[in-house]
Amino acid sequence: MATFGQNLQGLRVILRHPSGIAGVIVVTTFSVLAIIGPLVAPHGPFEVVYRADHSVLRLSQPTWQAWLGTTNQGMDVFSQLLWGTRVALLVGLLSALGSVVLGTIIGLVAGYFGGWIDEVLMRLTDVAFGIPFLPFAMVVISITRPSLGLVILLVVFFLWRTTARVIRAQVLSLRTRPFVWAARAAGAGHLRILLHHITPNVLPLSFLYAAIGVQAGVMLEAALSFLGYGDPNAMSWGTMLNAAFQAGAMRSAWWWVLPPGVALSLFVIAIFMITRAYEELLNPRLRVL
Amino acid sequence: MTHLAHAVLRRVVLLALTVWCILTIMFALFKLLPGDPAAIFVDNNMSMEMIEHQKQLWGLNDPWWLQYLHYLGNMALFRFGDSFFQNQTVGEILAEKVANTCAMIVPALIVSVVFGTILGALAGWKRGTRFEQTTVTTALVLHSAPSFFVGILVLMVFSYQLRWLPPGGMVSLGGPEGFWALITSTDYLKHLILPGLVLVSREITGPILLVRSSMLEIKGSDFIDILRAKGLSERRILTHATRNALLPLVTYIAVMTGLLLQGQVLLEIIFAWPGIGRELVTALGDLDYPVAQAALYVMALVILLLNLLADLLYGLIDPRSR
Repeated sequence: MATFGQNLQGLRVILRHPSGIAGVIVVTTFSVLAIIGPLVAPHGPFEVVYRADHSVLRLSQPTWQAWLGTTNQGMDVFSQLLWGTRVALLVGLLSALGSVVLGTIIGLVAGYFGGWIDEVLMRLTDVAFGIPFLPFAMVVISITRPSLGLVILLVVFFLWRTTARVIRAQVLSLRTRPFVWAARAAGAGHLRILLHHITPNVLPLSFLYAAIGVQAGVMLEAALSFLGYGDPNAMSWGTMLNAAFQAGAMRSAWWWVLPPGVALSLFVIAIFMITRAYEELLNPRLRVL
Repeated sequence: MTHLAHAVLRRVVLLALTVWCILTIMFALFKLLPGDPAAIFVDNNMSMEMIEHQKQLWGLNDPWWLQYLHYLGNMALFRFGDSFFQNQTVGEILAEKVANTCAMIVPALIVSVVFGTILGALAGWKRGTRFEQTTVTTALVLHSAPSFFVGILVLMVFSYQLRWLPPGGMVSLGGPEGFWALITSTDYLKHLILPGLVLVSREITGPILLVRSSMLEIKGSDFIDILRAKGLSERRILTHATRNALLPLVTYIAVMTGLLLQGQVLLEIIFAWPGIGRELVTALGDLDYPVAQAALYVMALVILLLNLLADLLYGLIDPRSR
């Protein structure tokens, strides 16, 4: 319960910042859209829109029928954007969750036990840091089969390393604190000390890295999909940008390019504002003014 | 000194270990490919002679563990074999593409570091002014913005709407031949402006934020007070302070270059720049596996070497880290 209270306190600090408030509003809006968007979307993500005379409505400018226009195949951009929000946030949330759980556990174990366990886990982290994500992910996806699950797995594989390093450093300083000695003197075992005394103290950091993970996950999924390595059955912002780019919409159909790109930028910058406000709480030296 | 030598050795061993891990993962992945495992190295449109050459190079008639050793040996010696579709060895193709990538990255990095340092130093020096706030806020927004969308945006505005600059590529059709003639031509400069600007818009944020924060630290330190007591002009003091604030930047540049290389794939696709990132995408699309795996390997190697360089420089510059 203590950590829940701490996180609430964190939220209050974020909301003291004007940019923090803006970030929270934008992220909340996108979250609501991700949940209800597909329910209220006028069309499916791959559904072709027809005119009254049954001809396909191709590359239409924004009109009352299609609020954000249509693609070269006659699909509704506004509907795709709503569906894409759900895919983007789903990938972001799941990959952040996976990477933070994995990274926190590895960081906790390495920092707490030290010795050869620490050595092995940290060298593993170093190796993971040496792998360039985008090229590596492209190779893996191209020789297996693109799917949303694989994208999430790859992003987790890429993100856990930072969390593990940061959490380990925090644990190293925590385990020499008097309250840990006290717990040990009182007869607490390793598991109890880890779960009841150390973990609650690193959770605020894990929370921060989870937020950063959502941002990175959304961005990486968009980048992979833009390059054509996304799940072909899931419409995401990156998939939209890929289709628009391939069709040369940059030249002719701004209404197709701008919505997914602006949504992606807004979301990513909003999360950045939140994490920045939260970081300033943890490290006041970052403050401007 | 022996301690330093020990630290260097440790780093180098770790680098070798990482390279080995990456190669093993790649070998395993390509082995997992459906169908004939030889298909990675041998293509149907090759002549019998070429097939024999490839088979010999990669030891395709041997058991898998010998193939694995062959693989490690070839990669370590940069013997990448032949491309499936291009009439050049993989090594020649990659050397050309790496040079092209450098032709985009190097100018952008120089501009980012020079102007980023100046802006960051001024922002730190003028703490609390509107100038600092504007610079830092802009840097933060640019830092988190997805640069591939920024690239698409500038392309839409400056190439397709205003028609000021070419929409991509490194050179116009019928432009200068040869690498050196090319990169000294104005045609290349025109092609460089847009992707270069996008790169700078992201990479400049690092030096700005880093130099600003180390400037804040130095500004409060004793030696600035001494300089001021000696009666030096404000400009001279700023120069002295900036020089000290540069230390952390040196190691940062190496790390920054490594990160930049990862995002390079996206920029090269958007601006049709014939670099190594675009080559990787093309090769994967064409199922030209010899080129694809060598491109991945070279990119990973460059990033690892830069990280090693950053670590070593850090150890040399900051005695506290030893």
